[in-house]
Amino acid sequence: MSDPFDIVNLRYMVDDVQACVDWYVAHFGFKVVLASPAFGAVERGRLRLLLSGKMSSAGRPMPDGRQPEPGGWNRFQYVVDDIASEVERLRGRGLTFRNDVVSGPGGSQILVEDPSGNVVEVFQPSAAAFGGAAAQPAKAGV
Amino acid sequence: MTKSAVFAAVITLALGAHSASAQNPATANPAQVRVRYMVQDVPSSVAFYTEKLGFKLDMQSGRAFAAVSRGGIQLLLSPTKGPGGASQPMPNGQRPAAGGWNRLVLYTADLQGDVEKLRKQGVRFRNDIVVGLGGNEILIDDPSGNAVELFQPTLVVGQTR
Repeated sequence: MSDPFDIVNLRYMVDDVQACVDWYVAHFGFKVVLASPAFGAVERGRLRLLLSGKMSSAGRPMPDGRQPEPGGWNRFQYVVDDIASEVERLRGRGLTFRNDVVSGPGGSQILVEDPSGNVVEVFQPSAAAFGGAAAQPAKAGV
Repeated sequence: MTKSAVFAAVITLALGAHSASAQNPATANPAQVRVRYMVQDVPSSVAFYTEKLGFKLDMQSGRAFAAVSRGGIQLLLSPTKGPGGASQPMPNGQRPAAGGWNRLVLYTADLQGDVEKLRKQGVRFRNDIVVGLGGNEILIDDPSGNAVELFQPTLVVGQTR
């Protein structure tokens, strides 16, 4: 065990595990760690994305009956150098976007939906956020 | 370091402890995985993640945005309403919201102990410990109702690769 934080695990609830495994591999360069009908795991860099279906332990209902489901707004960032060309690439593949490119102080972003309606944030950091934020940390970020 | 070795590692959730890595807190670290949570209130979210879950504050822009980190994770906290890009409504008018079920998974070697400790600190849980095939897990609710999973693995899944 070296750095215990080398891998970051993020869990997404999904409707169809295989469809989502295939989607992340095909469009965002993830590699398959494992794929079963109930659960899949894909990896890119230090991010391991856990794709949990209804049949997995993470898919069980809560004590109050609430059922875990895909969707929502919490997401990981897929960081790119050129968001315009990235959006063009992904649109060319027929992917679903939730919005258009939005720019903030920290950079530009757009939300892509996976086959279960979970989001991936394609993000291009602004030059200031990477290069000049040290001088003005209060203005950094999105 | 091999990925499978890392996968096999049972990571201790050092509650209250900070990563010792020295980096410019205001400069994005490309090696970190950046995850964004939508929150109802940035200051109380910062307090929660730094005081209860061992994150450190990288940067904060008042109530508009904050970034906290823990090891390889940089967690971006964006309010559901605010000036930032992530806080803007969708073209169809839909507003970003906190909550949902997608979440960071924080590994622990002592799930029971961590849960007891956090319960004493008033942290809310969405469920009780669930015994699964790969490990045991529980869901914490942050102040905005976002989930954070504590997970204690029981299987070395990485050996399947």
